[in-house]
Amino acid sequence: MSSVTTMPGAPESGGKASNLITRIENELRELWKPPEDPTAPPLSRVCTMNIEVVAPTKELLERYTPVIDEVTASIPARAILASIEPDSAAEEVTGSATVVCSLAGGKKICSERISLGFHGNASARAASAIEAFLVPEIPTALVWLGRVHTDDPVFEDLARNTSRIILDSEYTSISSVIHVAAWARSQRHAPEISDLAWTRIAAWQELLARFFDDAETRPLASKITRIVLKQAGETGARIGPESALMLGWIGTRLGWKTSRLAGALRFKREDGAAVTIELDAVPRPKGVAPHTLAALMIEAGDDPHAPALRGSIERELASGLTDQANTTPDADVIDWKCTRAGGAEIEQRIRLGPNKAAKWLERTLHRPLRDVAFAESVAFAEHIVEDGLTVS
Amino acid sequence: MVTTPCANPLRRGLIEDRTGDPCAVVIFGASGDLTRRKLLPAIYNLALSRSLPSGFAVVGVARRAKTAAQFSAEMKEGVAQFSRRKPIDPALWTDFERGLGYVQGSFDDPSTYKKLSAHLDELDNERGTRKNRLYYLAVPPSEFATIVANLKQAELVADPIAERSGGPWTRIIIEKPFGHDLESSRQLNDCIASAFAETQVFRIDHYLGKETVQNLLVFRFANSLFEPIWSREHVDNVQITVAEEIGVEGRGKFFEQTGVTKDIVENHLLQLLSLTAMEPPISLSADAVRDEKVKVLRSLRRMEPTMIRENVVRGQYGRGFIKGEEVLAYREEPDIAKDSKVETYVAMKVLVDNWRWGGVPFYIRAGKRLPRKVTEIAIQFKQVPHSLFAAPDGGISPNVLTVRVQPDEGIALRFTTKEPGNATILRDVAMDFRYGSAFGSNTPEAYERLLLDAIRGDATLFTRRDEVEEQWAFIDPVIEAWRGQASAPPGYPAGTWGPEQADDLLARDGRRWRRP
Repeated sequence: MSSVTTMPGAPESGGKASNLITRIENELRELWKPPEDPTAPPLSRVCTMNIEVVAPTKELLERYTPVIDEVTASIPARAILASIEPDSAAEEVTGSATVVCSLAGGKKICSERISLGFHGNASARAASAIEAFLVPEIPTALVWLGRVHTDDPVFEDLARNTSRIILDSEYTSISSVIHVAAWARSQRHAPEISDLAWTRIAAWQELLARFFDDAETRPLASKITRIVLKQAGETGARIGPESALMLGWIGTRLGWKTSRLAGALRFKREDGAAVTIELDAVPRPKGVAPHTLAALMIEAGDDPHAPALRGSIERELASGLTDQANTTPDADVIDWKCTRAGGAEIEQRIRLGPNKAAKWLERTLHRPLRDVAFAESVAFAEHIVEDGLTVS
Repeated sequence: MVTTPCANPLRRGLIEDRTGDPCAVVIFGASGDLTRRKLLPAIYNLALSRSLPSGFAVVGVARRAKTAAQFSAEMKEGVAQFSRRKPIDPALWTDFERGLGYVQGSFDDPSTYKKLSAHLDELDNERGTRKNRLYYLAVPPSEFATIVANLKQAELVADPIAERSGGPWTRIIIEKPFGHDLESSRQLNDCIASAFAETQVFRIDHYLGKETVQNLLVFRFANSLFEPIWSREHVDNVQITVAEEIGVEGRGKFFEQTGVTKDIVENHLLQLLSLTAMEPPISLSADAVRDEKVKVLRSLRRMEPTMIRENVVRGQYGRGFIKGEEVLAYREEPDIAKDSKVETYVAMKVLVDNWRWGGVPFYIRAGKRLPRKVTEIAIQFKQVPHSLFAAPDGGISPNVLTVRVQPDEGIALRFTTKEPGNATILRDVAMDFRYGSAFGSNTPEAYERLLLDAIRGDATLFTRRDEVEEQWAFIDPVIEAWRGQASAPPGYPAGTWGPEQADDLLARDGRRWRRP
């Protein structure tokens, strides 16, 4: 894929919602007309899903637009981006259409991006206007930026007609994800819930599972005695969603239970033995999001003082290339180490996937819709967050 | 041994719920082009995708004297040039390189295997490869027997019974050709079977690693729409085409020994046919899928001499034009006999004698120097029983479902529609799904998928012994019949779709070839 190019339609303008919809549909027709220049490369219009993106402000939506353009370069879709600002003084709907193309194999593969702005009382009609643009018979994903309330009628109307709702618990909260999941379960055709933080820890899950792939170490999975998690940030900070989801995932896969002793959270294995969980902080380099999971160490065996297996997964934060905005969109490197009692240390260096918002969204869209492990892990993680596990 | 999914509780529910055991991949013929162009780039891409097991190493074995550092530098150059993902990731390469080793020696010298054995023992300790070995024979078939016998002699082959109870495993990947006829294929299989159990043998056909070929099973058995009409009740004929623009491309000596029938039809084309015609397997396990494929191969009506004359057409390309450039005739290519009778094109009408396909002809063709490179399976459905429309061309075109294997992998369905306007004018249109457009073009190479499957012990996409032997049993009579013919195959100009006789083959049945 080469870089993304855009062909905007008419400039954004406002008016009645129904007129705007007609105008944008006409604009799209114009944009798809065969080029007058017969030598111009042909455009291939491709649409495999609808992606609805809802943001509380136009500014946030504009920041997120390049992310969506990058995603539709690899997952051709009709993207409908909407900012909803009910407190705005004006009561109007604005909108425009753009064709976003990427070059693949000498052909321009093009998606459609429809940008809408709902202001003042017009915000209440946002869902019906957005739905008017949905391409039928293909899946629809709703990406909700910002805080989410299940009693918000716009959210409710849009969410009811989607196959997947995508949140980021890093920016909402694990509790919000739980509330949305509970709401979804009450619906007749429940949409599935996805969390970008869950996608971000997928590689960690796989790397942790590797410690127990070998027939000899497999029984040690039920004998984990200690886990140390490290996240980017300061001492005293609360556990971040990535660390909490990771613990939730480990706990639910291994049948752990939580209990309290004098108010403090305790983790117990299936056989009743205690597991020590420690949460540490590592310095957060510039451009790295707070609470980013940075390391995970485990010990397992019958004797906590002489573990049969020691494993570590350490991410070199910001080891990817840094761009001009001082963020690290390139992938970070991970060092994976496993030492068995009496055995040599096995070491691997692994590159994580590119650390870009577009890539996380793309991978989330590629994941299977139904993910039982996620639902179970979120519920477990909520206890951890509620109990306020903090960085020592 | 197939790694049991979900045996590790932390694998439960992961998208990638199967993982390969730690292992060493040993490539015999490591100085060859296949290693540099395909195998190492594939393994490197698996490392990039985090698909390799934690304990992993690659050992090259070849005759040429070189140090491990030289081997590593050559492989790095190969990966830099041929990897689908560029440039090389320096952080990852440093780690990957630590697992690369080289053993120099002649394949028929037992001391080579002693050195190899010692090197593999070291890797078990240093890289945690756990005594699991995957041998890849990237060498001519004439070397197979020597290597296999020496591996056994050097005790480098694990006991398959111990494997099943969790002991270290050994697997061997071999490349086609799997023999040059039924007899030689049996000999080759017997030779391999003298050291390896069939469950340890992975015969690679890189066509089966292509995304569209794998998707054929999904398309047929995950959609309720197509399977009910996938039979003689609704299908008029099936056309499978494997066309290449290129000529023999420096492989003249090889091609003079094989011809297109042994090179393409006996393996790739019959595999595509069996996947198209097979019954639903009881599961997706390797043997369940291969059982169904082999049933199709056994159902192919064997070619009697009369049938061969009527149902098989061969051809040889003459001079012509490909993409506007003049190209040489086959007999003018290097290493080709001036009076060569080797076929560069073959077309056959094949009948599958079973309940589902009785009477439905499968027209298959493969050729070199055809107008374009294309591999496709086209299912042509029957005409509507009665036309309500006075179509200007006198009829309605039948629906065609096309599975494009390469290039532009995808699936297209042709159907008839009304042109807008006051008159009822019918026109063919296509619903066209393309992998590259819908899912991006950066899909794994066939070798990546197949190597990973071999590491995981999943043989579904590899050819089993009985499949290979059935394929030869079908092809042998055809080759035998040609052997007795004094005349050369009919000619066809390069850049055309084969000899006229191939068109006649279908015209006799009132049909014609598709122009893909």
